[in-house]
Parts: sequence; structure tokens; C-alpha cells
Amino acid sequence: MNLKIKIKGREYNVSVEDLADTVVVNIDGNEYVFDANGNGKAQKENSGFVKPASIAPKNSKQIKAPLSGVISEISIEPNSLIKVAQKLLTLSAMKMENEILAETQGKVKEILVKKGQAVREGDLLIILE
Amino acid sequence: MEPKFKIIEFEDIPSTSEKAKELAIQNESPWTVVLARQQSNGHGRKGEAWFSPEGGLYFSVILPKSSIADLQTITILAAFVISKIIKDDFNLEPLIKLPNDILLDGKKVCGVLTENVIMGDKTLVSIIGVGLDTNIKEFPNDLKDISVSLRQVLFKEIDNNEILEKILSELKNQLEIINQNNQ
Repeated sequence: MNLKIKIKGREYNVSVEDLADTVVVNIDGNEYVFDANGNGKAQKENSGFVKPASIAPKNSKQIKAPLSGVISEISIEPNSLIKVAQKLLTLSAMKMENEILAETQGKVKEILVKKGQAVREGDLLIILE
Repeated sequence: MEPKFKIIEFEDIPSTSEKAKELAIQNESPWTVVLARQQSNGHGRKGEAWFSPEGGLYFSVILPKSSIADLQTITILAAFVISKIIKDDFNLEPLIKLPNDILLDGKKVCGVLTENVIMGDKTLVSIIGVGLDTNIKEFPNDLKDISVSLRQVLFKEIDNNEILEKILSELKNQLEIINQNNQ
């Protein structure tokens, strides 16, 4: 989730990612990671807001995470044949369940994620051939 | 007066969100509402069951096409909108357990779940589902310590239609405000 928060006239760009056991908060490029108890620490400074998905060329055979979250269901198996609009997996993010459908037909070459795995926006999930 | 929202009502269906998703795929208009008197397979996040006997308010709304970021915001705003109605109309002190649960005295009274269908970089369908425990008389043993209904707290019947209309109107207002701010 991306937010703009204004405090005393200064605007901050804030993103919040819910990754299973941790929540990652990015404030103007500085990343803070919190555990389930709310304990946090700075992880990486100036990681920036450029997301891999926004800079990579579009390739409909490579299924990428449209947002950060946790894989809650995988609906396909390696080597299975996929039709257009077939459900590939479900990604649970910030209390939203997101069904990811195939944009193109093909054969599942590789599934790079497992159920319960946390992924970040732009991560490669499935490769079709 | 013409009703503000198209409401498709069912006596008993497995899940209002599944039905709304099916209708949205068949091009049913945004802001169409699927309402059920009870659900046999109501669910929350990760498919967890949502106890949905007669008396509660269970509905799902087909949302207009919006960005994923806006949809995340609307999930939180839905919890805010419903909490505000509970506070203002019934003089109660609900607590929002971010981003999508509403508690009364530490027990869950409402859950909100948004479901999207995404293909490539396009969101094809978005549904927001709400389960609000309005007039449930009692909960089974495994839920009675963690769930509560408005009726149990207020000792009176709640008008489900009236509260539904208020939630829908306010949700629509909030989504329009978000969309305007992003233009």
C-alpha cells in the first residue's frame, strides 16, 4: 500500500508491505521491518521506490507478483498446460485475496514459489513456455 | 423513489463474494450488491470460515475498476466507515484491528475482505465482502469468546436494511474521494 502522509507541512512517501510474519514500511526510501509484536528496526537505507515490475519489459510468459504479499494457494502443477484466464495462484496481501490469472496460454515450465511464501512486488512467480 | 443501489437478495447461498465475483465476470454493473440472509460457506481471509447464520448482515459489492493501491485503501476505509456507523448510531466504542476487523470489547463483530481477479497488469474484478454480526442471538461454543453481535450488546434488533444503505452510501463516497485525489 502506497501512501502520502503530510506532517507539519512536509510530505512523506510511505509504502507498507504485509509479508507473512513481518511488515515492511518504507519511508522516503528508508526501510523499516517490524515483527508480529511490533518490534522494528531500520533494514536498508535509500532502497528507493523503483519497483522491478515497473522497469522490466512486459513478458506474459513470466508471471510476476503484482503486489507484495503471501502465496496462499497454488492452483497449477509443473508441466501442466494452461489456458488464457486460467487461475494460476492466489496472493494474499493486506487482507486482500488476489487471484492471478494467466494472460497467455502455455506449459508451466517452473513454479518458483511455494504456498505460504512471502513475495515482493515484481518477484517472478511462474515461468510458462 | 428509485433505490440507490441494485441489491440482489438471496435466502441462503454459499458465499456472497463468490456470487458477486461470478456476476462481475458476466459484466454486472459496479455497485451491484449481493445480499444473503445466511451463507452456508461464508469465508474470510485464506478461506477461513465466517459463521453466517440468519440474523447477520452478509453482503458483497462489485467495485468499479480501480488501481490495486486504491483497493487496499478502500478495504481499510470500509472498516472505518462501518466503525463510524456503529459508534454514531449505537453509541458504542468499536476498535478497528487493522486493516479489516472490527472489535467490540475485544470480540469480533465485523470482518471485511476484498478479493481481486488480476490478469497481467489489469484488475478484472474487485469485490468487497462484509460480514457484520447484527442480530445473531448466540454463537457456538468455539466462537462465543471471540465473537459478538450488536444485538447481544444492545439488547435490541438492528434494522439490517437501514445499516446496509448507510454503509453502501458511505463506501461509495469514500471511493469517489480516493479516485478524485488520484486524478
